[in-house]
Amino acid sequence: MKKEPVAEILKANPWFASLSSPHFEKMVEIATEMSWPAGQIIFREGQQGNYMYLIIEGQVALDIYAPNRGRLTILTLGPNEVFGWSAVVPYTQMRTAAARTIKPTRAIALDSAALRAACKADHELGYLVYRRLTNIIAGRLTATRLQLLDVYGDGTGD
Amino acid sequence: MYAPQTTTMAPEPMMPFPALITDIKEEAPGVTTYALEFEDTAVRQSFTFQPGQFNMLYLPGIGEAAISISSDPGQPETLLHTIRVAGNVTQAIARLDVGDVIGLRGPYGSAWPLAHARGLDIIMVAGGIGLPPLRPAIYHIIHHRQEYGQVTVLVGAREPADLMFPGEYDAWREQGIEVLPTVDRADDSWEGRVGVVPMLFYSLRPDPRKTMIFTCGPEIMMRFVVYEALARRVPKERIYLSLERNMKCAIGFCGHCQFGPTFLCKEGPVLSYNQIEPFFSVEEF
Amino acid sequence: MTPHIPPLNAHVVIDKPALQTLFDALQTAGYTLIGPTIREEAIVYDEIGRIEELPIGWTDEQGPGHYRLHERGDGRYFAYVVGPHSWKKYLYPARLTLFRTRRQDKSFTVETGEEPPPKYAFIGARGCELAAIAVQDRVFLEGPIQAATYKARREHAFLLAVNCTEPGETCFCVSMNSGPRCESGFDLALTELDDVFLLQVGSQIGAEMLAGSGWRPAGAFELSHARRLLAEAETQMGRTLETRDLPNLLYDNLDHPRWDEVAERCLSCMNCTMVCPTCFCADITDVSDLSGENTARVRVWDSCFNPDFSYVHGGNLRPSIRARYRQWLTHKLASWIDQFGTSGCVGCGRCITWCPVGIDLTEEVAAIRGEG
Repeated sequence: MKKEPVAEILKANPWFASLSSPHFEKMVEIATEMSWPAGQIIFREGQQGNYMYLIIEGQVALDIYAPNRGRLTILTLGPNEVFGWSAVVPYTQMRTAAARTIKPTRAIALDSAALRAACKADHELGYLVYRRLTNIIAGRLTATRLQLLDVYGDGTGD
Repeated sequence: MYAPQTTTMAPEPMMPFPALITDIKEEAPGVTTYALEFEDTAVRQSFTFQPGQFNMLYLPGIGEAAISISSDPGQPETLLHTIRVAGNVTQAIARLDVGDVIGLRGPYGSAWPLAHARGLDIIMVAGGIGLPPLRPAIYHIIHHRQEYGQVTVLVGAREPADLMFPGEYDAWREQGIEVLPTVDRADDSWEGRVGVVPMLFYSLRPDPRKTMIFTCGPEIMMRFVVYEALARRVPKERIYLSLERNMKCAIGFCGHCQFGPTFLCKEGPVLSYNQIEPFFSVEEF
Repeated sequence: MTPHIPPLNAHVVIDKPALQTLFDALQTAGYTLIGPTIREEAIVYDEIGRIEELPIGWTDEQGPGHYRLHERGDGRYFAYVVGPHSWKKYLYPARLTLFRTRRQDKSFTVETGEEPPPKYAFIGARGCELAAIAVQDRVFLEGPIQAATYKARREHAFLLAVNCTEPGETCFCVSMNSGPRCESGFDLALTELDDVFLLQVGSQIGAEMLAGSGWRPAGAFELSHARRLLAEAETQMGRTLETRDLPNLLYDNLDHPRWDEVAERCLSCMNCTMVCPTCFCADITDVSDLSGENTARVRVWDSCFNPDFSYVHGGNLRPSIRARYRQWLTHKLASWIDQFGTSGCVGCGRCITWCPVGIDLTEEVAAIRGEG
């Protein structure tokens, strides 16, 4: 019943808009719009992943809980960014961090099982989806390296 | 025949002018802003600078350090210098009080290409104490807001307490400048963004036909800003960086600040990426 | 009485002992004479007054990491090449006070650093050395800001140049187009013949200094003799450097394995930069008295081989010798051209001779060119 707005929302995204008509329709079929108030846990670390999300508006934090240190925010994400990609990566399918809204957030949720099935059934689509995922993951890897480097330090450990 | 044994001398260009510290403000742990005014009225009134330029700050008996000007170019009689304690000179400056006098000469170096950027969108990317050299450009844009398109300031720091000038972000936003701060690390008392600055490009949709990038911060950060900007098809000649090297004389005589063919004190510190591309990723260059 | 002086650009000859009249004239005109003389088994530049102080009858045998003086057994005045000193020692002193500050309450006053320098007359500058002075002129005088201390020394300096007729083993001025003939930038240019000095008059003051020398116009025999000597000298270069497209060659090979090889030999001792007549890098440091009231701001020669040279907070940007040698050579032969419109190398060979391990930049360039 919310399919019309979902199609409109996806059209506004350059990657979805670049898909062929059958591929785009497949995406619309497995997409749902979701929204959360600020401070809501969207998923927790270790849970089975059901959805991958594209943020429309708002802000989401990815947290890892460390004993004695509490909840550590690894990364925050905003409009046009994707989170929950671990749900479509065959290796884990399990949440490797918790997702929590910092601001009221609206997102498109893609059903991860349906997305994996669609990619398996149509390798052309699978290629496009996983190519996009590769870019996203590569960006995260770069970001993680830069965080590890602690670029604001002067190299002396201060 | 009259035969002078000696020659005459012009004034030494490296001579500083005494300047009074009129205000001191702690910005973040280890980072302090000093307001300086030349003691000599004529020097004070004739001094002008462009956003991105730097001065040499001198303490007799200690030495000199190149510090970028972080204040409003429209108010050049009081010059702000935002300093992180790093070496001998900055450590000694940290011990000074309001009313103390410091040696000052400048301004030196190149400026952010604000005239070139007219009519364009500007994305400024600042990491750590990379924001102070960009702040004069932000003030300039605020004074001439209608001349520029969308202006976005991405600000990164290690932790929330390290963010530069956070008290001014709302005032900048009121002038139609988008300010996106992010930190590498935070506990959950921080409600802003977490992640390295270059990642903020993922939430932007810059129009490569009319976007200019100004970046200043740790060199690794700037490299990745360049990569993200190039990946979004922003042309090399519209990506500007402010580089840091050892500077001793600031007038191209001492050779320390060379970066390939460039003297960063003269042609730099602000350079376009296409000027430095062949050398930017060469190790130990 | 109008003194008897030769016209500008004239070629004249004087008897060799009459060189003293030129020295005397220069001293009378207020010049401090600096010329070649033997100190500690080397021909160096120092203050002189008499022609007997010149290295008459001596020559220098040079090679990579090798320098020896020999008696020639003749009375030649200028039959040596160049030694460890260059004129930059006087035009751009190794240690110089730029200004002084005196603390007064919370403030301080700033005063000029030194007395105005003497007027120098440089005796025996070779073509490569005139070229080196011209290079430093570009660095210190032809940019947006002039170096006052250099200008004060340079603008009144008298140059008695000497055409080089016996190039050394490490010379390659022909490759760098800076010699052996002195083409310009001198007051007088001397060519030593068997019994006389042939002098070319390069300036009015040069002409005036010859007033008491008993000069006479050069004859065809003397002129052709000098031409022949210089033509022979051109063929006697101990080294060559192929300069074709040199900047791009180096810029395109910043990661060439040859840098690693040369770094294994290089001691990063800075000798090459100290003896180089064009190297101008300097540090600027403070020297205070015990009270801390008075401070001198002092410029001292520095070197890109000094590990601290590239220090920024947190560390040195060129920690390896590989990076420092690469910086030196690419600056000297490539980026110098971008910066100043001229090569930083004049082919004098000092960096080869005075390198304790005999590193030869002409060999390094040839190796990077693939001709090693």
